[in-house]
Amino acid sequence: MSLAHRNLFQDKTRLLLSVAGVALAVMLILILSGFLAGMNHQITSYLNNSPGSVMVTQKGVVNMLGATSLLPPGADVQVEAEQGVEQVIPILSQFVILDLHDKKLPAYMIGYDPGQGGGPWRIRAGREPQTDDEMVFDWVLAGRHDLSLGDSLDLMGQTFKIVGLTDGTTSWMTSFFFITRKAAENLLRTPGAVSFLLITPVEGTNSEDLIRRLDDLPGINALTKARMAANDLELFANIFSMPLRLMVAIAFLVGTMIVGLVIYTATVERQREYGVLKAIGAPNRVLYRVVTTQALFASLAGSLVGILLAYGLAGWIMGARPQFLIVLDPADMLWALLSGLGMALAAALFPARMIAGLAPAEVFRK
Amino acid sequence: MTDTTLNVDHVTKRYGSSSTEVTAVKDVSLSVKPGEIVLIMGPSGSGKTTLLSMLGALLKPTEGEIHLNGTIISALSEKHLPDIRLKQFGFIFQDFNLLSALTALENVSIVAELAGMKGVAARKKSAELLADLGLAGRLNFLPEKLSGGEKQRVAIARALINNPTLILADEPTANLDSKIGHEIMRLLRQIAKEQNRSVVIVSHDQRIKDIADHVLWLEDGQFKEIVSMAIDPVCGMSVEREKAFHLSLNGMDYYFCAKGCRDEFAADAEKYQQTNEASF
Ligand SMILES: Nc1ncnc2c1ncn2[C@@H]1O[C@H](COP(=O)(O)OP(=O)(O)OP(=O)(O)O)[C@@H](O)[C@H]1O
Ligand SMILES: [Mg+2]
Repeated sequence: MSLAHRNLFQDKTRLLLSVAGVALAVMLILILSGFLAGMNHQITSYLNNSPGSVMVTQKGVVNMLGATSLLPPGADVQVEAEQGVEQVIPILSQFVILDLHDKKLPAYMIGYDPGQGGGPWRIRAGREPQTDDEMVFDWVLAGRHDLSLGDSLDLMGQTFKIVGLTDGTTSWMTSFFFITRKAAENLLRTPGAVSFLLITPVEGTNSEDLIRRLDDLPGINALTKARMAANDLELFANIFSMPLRLMVAIAFLVGTMIVGLVIYTATVERQREYGVLKAIGAPNRVLYRVVTTQALFASLAGSLVGILLAYGLAGWIMGARPQFLIVLDPADMLWALLSGLGMALAAALFPARMIAGLAPAEVFRK
Repeated sequence: MTDTTLNVDHVTKRYGSSSTEVTAVKDVSLSVKPGEIVLIMGPSGSGKTTLLSMLGALLKPTEGEIHLNGTIISALSEKHLPDIRLKQFGFIFQDFNLLSALTALENVSIVAELAGMKGVAARKKSAELLADLGLAGRLNFLPEKLSGGEKQRVAIARALINNPTLILADEPTANLDSKIGHEIMRLLRQIAKEQNRSVVIVSHDQRIKDIADHVLWLEDGQFKEIVSMAIDPVCGMSVEREKAFHLSLNGMDYYFCAKGCRDEFAADAEKYQQTNEASF
């Protein structure tokens, strides 16, 4: 065993503390980033899972969740007539307030034609709506308000029966629910109204060119779904991403400081021993390696434990509170290890500086 | 000059600058031959440690030169010093200064490894050396489990492992009781004589004067007088020639610890004459 490992393992409490410190920091980093990723995932879930790659909106509307869109009458026919358009799916959607007996809650309503598409993409239980008084509800939201298949729900003075429960349509900010487009028209008292068109271009079509042509049609706006998702994210997720990123940065700093402090105090305590090694003839680079190895070991062990903790905690949180989605990408593990590495190198800096400043002649001083 | 290991040439060391300047060592010269043991004594603050640090290339002289086997080590750049310290010097300290997390064996082998020896070979050589010093049963002990004398023997093994030209010891017996201290000194003498290594020892300890070939007295950064030792032929005590009671007889010089011994010798010289060859 090397000197670095001997030094590390000599004080096991200290080693444990530094590993735990890094583990908690890494766990926090992973959970927060996973939470951010989950939030992004949830906000863009409809856009990511509905058919088509291009969207048509009311002129001036560039996102889905941020504004109400109402297309000019006949826009769907005009769009369908454009060259390169394979499929057009109309939806009528907007935020509504759900009256859940115990609580009023905003939710995003999607009215679609079950025969055409644009509805729920993953039904956990039950089926799609067939009549205009049936709805498909988000299962997490349903669960939280004691609603199950077959239950009735009041929506703007009308009663709907829950016939299906969906997966992946929830978020802690808003949930999606689905009714037929006809039912939505009735609710909003806008017969024949369409909010958005989901466009699937013919294969091989230049979608930029298609978007330009669609955009030229009167009263409408065309953009890719990816663009629209990005706009939604900008509107909603970014409010939270700043503080979350700040917290990630703080977690990184805290982790670094923990390892740094532990390795630094361990080095200060052994100052004399490092001085002796210098006097005996160990060059600085050997001593740097000793402290860096200690920092690396503590950080990497901490990172690995942190990854395990993050998976455990994420599972636990999502089990207990399904509205929170924490997406842990395997690529994040690389990030965690890299953060650990970064912490180690930053943490080794101060002890290394201290060693560099040790005068070997000091070893003869008592 | 060819048979000198170490040559110190008009060396001065000043600490600090202007108003706070301290001249710790003043224009000191000295040379040490292979296999020779030099003891530097002197009052506290006289510059002993400063001088020893310069001899070991831990400190640069302000003026003067230090030659080791023909190399002017006082002129070497910081970059070259670790290698010189590692291979040319063996350091022994008052408080042993072993690495607390390493076993006795590892404390020695790490120094061999620093000098480029492979792990297995380094451990084998270290184990042999420790066994030679009577520590075969202590190889895997941490320093905290060793007695003072054992620790200092581990430190001696560490100092010897890279076959240094010069061993430098600062108060090596100060933390040991007198019996163990004496053993350590005898060990150092044996190493000097059997392995032909030079040894420079700094000590306050009057009791170790008898193992030295030369005793130097440092005061206010300067050597006061070179003290050479002789053995009182009557009582066998080691005495400083310059301070001893002296008697010349048939062209030979005899030195005594006290007037009483000299009188006894004078009364029956033949009885004691065979034993005085041992002077060194
Ligand atoms: N790093 C330093 N900076 C300034 N002055 C120093 C330094 N080291 C030693 N001195 C001074 O130099 C003088 C000689 O000190 P040194 O330690 O060499 O004496 P010493 O003979 O070894 O003393 P002791 O027997 O107490 O160990 C002292 O006056 C001391 O205060
Ligand atoms: Mg001293």
